[in-house]
Amino acid sequence: MNAQAMWLNPWISGLSFAESVPQWLLTACGLVLVYCLVIVPSGAVMGYLERKLSADFQARVGPNRAGPAGVLQPVADLLKLLQKQAAGDWNWREAIWLLVHTMALYSTVAVIPLGSLLLLVDTDMSAFLPFWSALVLALGTMFLGLSQGSVPGWFGGIRVAAQALAGAFPALIALLCAGIRAGGFRWSEIAAAQSSSPLLWTAAANPFQFIAFFVFVISGLVLLGIPPMDAAFSAPDIHGGVASHLSGRKLTVFRLGRFYCFLLWSVIAVVLFLGGWALPFGLSTELRNADNPRLLQVLELCWLLAKTFLLVLVVTWIAKVNPRSRVDQVTDFAWRVLSPFSLFALIGASLVAGWGAL
Amino acid sequence: MTGGPPMMRGSVFSTILGYLRDVLWGIRSVWGSCLTAIPYLFGSGELSKEVTEQYPDPISSKIADDLPPRSRGFLVNDIERCTGCKECERQCPVQCICVEAEPATDDTKIWVSVFDIDFSKCVFCGICAEVCQPASLKHTKNFEGAVYELPELVASFGRGWVTPEQRLKWAKLRQQIEDDRVTL
Repeated sequence: MNAQAMWLNPWISGLSFAESVPQWLLTACGLVLVYCLVIVPSGAVMGYLERKLSADFQARVGPNRAGPAGVLQPVADLLKLLQKQAAGDWNWREAIWLLVHTMALYSTVAVIPLGSLLLLVDTDMSAFLPFWSALVLALGTMFLGLSQGSVPGWFGGIRVAAQALAGAFPALIALLCAGIRAGGFRWSEIAAAQSSSPLLWTAAANPFQFIAFFVFVISGLVLLGIPPMDAAFSAPDIHGGVASHLSGRKLTVFRLGRFYCFLLWSVIAVVLFLGGWALPFGLSTELRNADNPRLLQVLELCWLLAKTFLLVLVVTWIAKVNPRSRVDQVTDFAWRVLSPFSLFALIGASLVAGWGAL
Repeated sequence: MTGGPPMMRGSVFSTILGYLRDVLWGIRSVWGSCLTAIPYLFGSGELSKEVTEQYPDPISSKIADDLPPRSRGFLVNDIERCTGCKECERQCPVQCICVEAEPATDDTKIWVSVFDIDFSKCVFCGICAEVCQPASLKHTKNFEGAVYELPELVASFGRGWVTPEQRLKWAKLRQQIEDDRVTL
């Protein structure tokens, strides 16, 4: 637990109350700060980028009213949704499953890797933790849909479960590939096995890791139901699935959760395969030697998020120019294409790792 | 899933080859559609231009005169020509027209006291204008109807309710005309 609050130390060490505050309180504050300062703004940026990019592809203008070039549109959306009246009666089942869904989602804030000094949980199992959260998230989302007692909710919930089951297997196998190269599933080990140069990234280490990277990203889309694999949340045929009965504040929570899913998966993919937070030109070592942890934290975070947003943009690009896949085709694709390829990549990566160990 | 020379068809090898070919085809299809989108992002030609009609900003982007000649905007009723026959009220699919009429000085003169069109309900189908025998009900080209309250969308063309004294006066006039006709 100490590690969770340790990143706060360079910021509060000069303050007199730092020693007297209990550790658990610092940890909680750290999580809230990461959520408010990193996750929510990232969600806003992703939402804006996604809307502008899709507008460009479709020869539209996109958001252009709130602020210069519409950059304040996410804020405007948030404020509008927050003040909307809740539609329908209070449904305690729905509320409970929305709570489960949200807790599963944001439990990952504790394990998300955001930089060498911003590793909140760094254990031997830490790379697996987001997966269990993703599976619990799928469970919560499924029951959220089933508890609504509506046709879109039912179909959305069942589709969420089907996609999560189909996507989890190849995603886990692809994670094993990265772990085999790094020699462990500790975030710091995985990051240490790579460097800032793209040639030293795990994805570029050998063709098997390259396949594993693709499988990891695509199966993440399937697992979490992110476009273009978002048949579980599709608007035309099931009215947004689980989201169809949510409105106002609940919809805000849910929609932010969708963005957070995407962000989480992209961050993990970048850390596992695309060099993580390693700064170029040896800046990381220099800053560590110069004992400047604050600048190191900020720069690493920005570098990691920049890579993440690039990955998000590429996925959004693909999602916007390709039709949404039907749910049976998505699961079919995950079982029949992603899974064999992930196993192939795992065997190849194991052989390469074994060859190196000889 | 089957390909290759005939003697290999159905074999494990050809199945795997077909599978790999399908995967490659999928990758190429996705890659191709991604490439298709590039000119929309970075191009300088027609494709990168936005087609969005940014109404009403700039204000002059679309005005009533730009609309095609048979476009259906708000309805207007020429109450001088209206006979109060209520055909529009009967034909209206959404019951947004309300007509009240009564005989005035003689049978050919009709006092249309109420002619209300609720544009919050109107679907601008044009049936009322089509069935209007005296052609008093017409579509304008005006389409800007933003208001703050729904009742503001009700357009009233009626001449107003008739007072009992007026009604009596008209009844007398009608009686007089009837009497004149009988005496002639």
